[in-house]
Amino acid sequence: MSFTQWLGNVSKIILFDGAMGTQLMNYNLEPGKLPDFLNIEGPEIVKKVLASYYESGADMVQTCTFSANLVNLERQHLSEYLQKINIEALRNIKDIQPPRGKLIVGDIGPSGEFRPPVGEASGDQWKNGFQQQVEVLEVGVDLWHIETMSDLQEMSAAIHAIKEVSLKPIIASMTYRKTKTRGFFTIMGDSLETCVNTLEEENVDVIGTNCTLGSDQMIELTKELVQLTDKPVSVKPNAGQPRLEGGITVYDQSPDEFVNDIEQMIDLGVKIVGGCCGTTPTHIQKMRMLIDNR
Amino acid sequence: MDAEEIYKEMADAIVNLDQEKALNLANQALKEEMNLLKVIEKGFGEGIRKVGDLWDDGEFFLPELMSGAQIMQKAVDVLTPQLQSSGSERQSSGKVLLATIEGDIHSIGKTIVATMLRANGFQVIDLGTDVKAEKIVDVAINENVDIIGVSTLLTTTMLNQKKVIEILEQKNLRNNFKVIFGGAPVTQGWVDECHADGYAENAVESVKLAKSLM
Repeated sequence: MSFTQWLGNVSKIILFDGAMGTQLMNYNLEPGKLPDFLNIEGPEIVKKVLASYYESGADMVQTCTFSANLVNLERQHLSEYLQKINIEALRNIKDIQPPRGKLIVGDIGPSGEFRPPVGEASGDQWKNGFQQQVEVLEVGVDLWHIETMSDLQEMSAAIHAIKEVSLKPIIASMTYRKTKTRGFFTIMGDSLETCVNTLEEENVDVIGTNCTLGSDQMIELTKELVQLTDKPVSVKPNAGQPRLEGGITVYDQSPDEFVNDIEQMIDLGVKIVGGCCGTTPTHIQKMRMLIDNR
Repeated sequence: MDAEEIYKEMADAIVNLDQEKALNLANQALKEEMNLLKVIEKGFGEGIRKVGDLWDDGEFFLPELMSGAQIMQKAVDVLTPQLQSSGSERQSSGKVLLATIEGDIHSIGKTIVATMLRANGFQVIDLGTDVKAEKIVDVAINENVDIIGVSTLLTTTMLNQKKVIEILEQKNLRNNFKVIFGGAPVTQGWVDECHADGYAENAVESVKLAKSLM
């Protein structure tokens, strides 16, 4: 089954994966070290996390390439590793041999550079940065997930970069915060409605949202989001808010609470569910059970 | 037009993010030999406070916040030479040292905080990113700052924030400085655990926090 067939199957709820970054921390990822670099330096760790999500029942898992775009790597003085990180990321996810019928998602994260007046990035710089990454990943992925974008212009740059090289489906996930009185906006000031309208114009396959919000607040956002579009919707909330306890990051929300919230989002009409920061294979397992028992 | 009306126009120019108007008004203030300290405090300063309120209300976002602070800074720059030559200086709200901690290269949050603090009359020394705790303490001592602000985006590098306080304690200098934290993973619990003096959720809150500590 291809991703497009999944989307066309009305009874299918697609199970995405959980967090990569916060899972890697469990393996003593050196503070400040770019997780994507582990594709080269610690492939076994990356493979363990990827495999854990397929084993937990995820229909699709994304490559460990969230930060491996040119603009981000340049900032970290790692630009010469762009090819290698992305090639190894593909090798790592292929090596674990995803179960038959399961898909590989090319993960594209933000560049970390903002446009003026906040920063100095330009649309061309963004697009070129993403395109170099996409050209490497294109040979091995089944679809794309552009995620954690807080600037609609940067999202568009990433979409254009992909469309220049690839015909594969795109899930486009923005990240929102809730304002006091005006509903959900990105920190750059794009409203939920503006984002949905632009993403529809860009003709992405799935309109998504991930990170920043915990699952409870994401229910609220989902209610609005499903009213604004007829496109399939994807949600990957955080497992509540992180807290540091004795040097270890703790997420207070239990996987059961998280999955209860996810169920509400499915009832609202969401097509793809998964988790962002703080979610684990246990979250995915419990979501698998939820979906299979519906 | 009386002074009060001009102050209001200045504040409005900042809120409307109208740089040309703000700079024209700054030049007008020089020409008319207005009280420049009042111009900053009651005029442009009032504007930047309103920008902060609009951020709080969800009316303004990062681009407006940064533009407002940058226009404010440019207007103050127009007034500064005259202020200095007349011997009257804008009263400093305080001296703040900012750095993103060792192991973390994220700069955007810290840069926004620096811009907002400057716009609100603080002297800011920005050491950049990936700065060792030892260096932060050394500069804080040498520059005799009031507040040390330590930023981190990563939960992994967050531990290094605590090091700044530990070093100050070892040197018996903890009471000489207020130490504040910033960054997405920072919570009140972490501040309490480290015995820091506070944290802020965003740049607007950081200005309020810094003022409350002075």
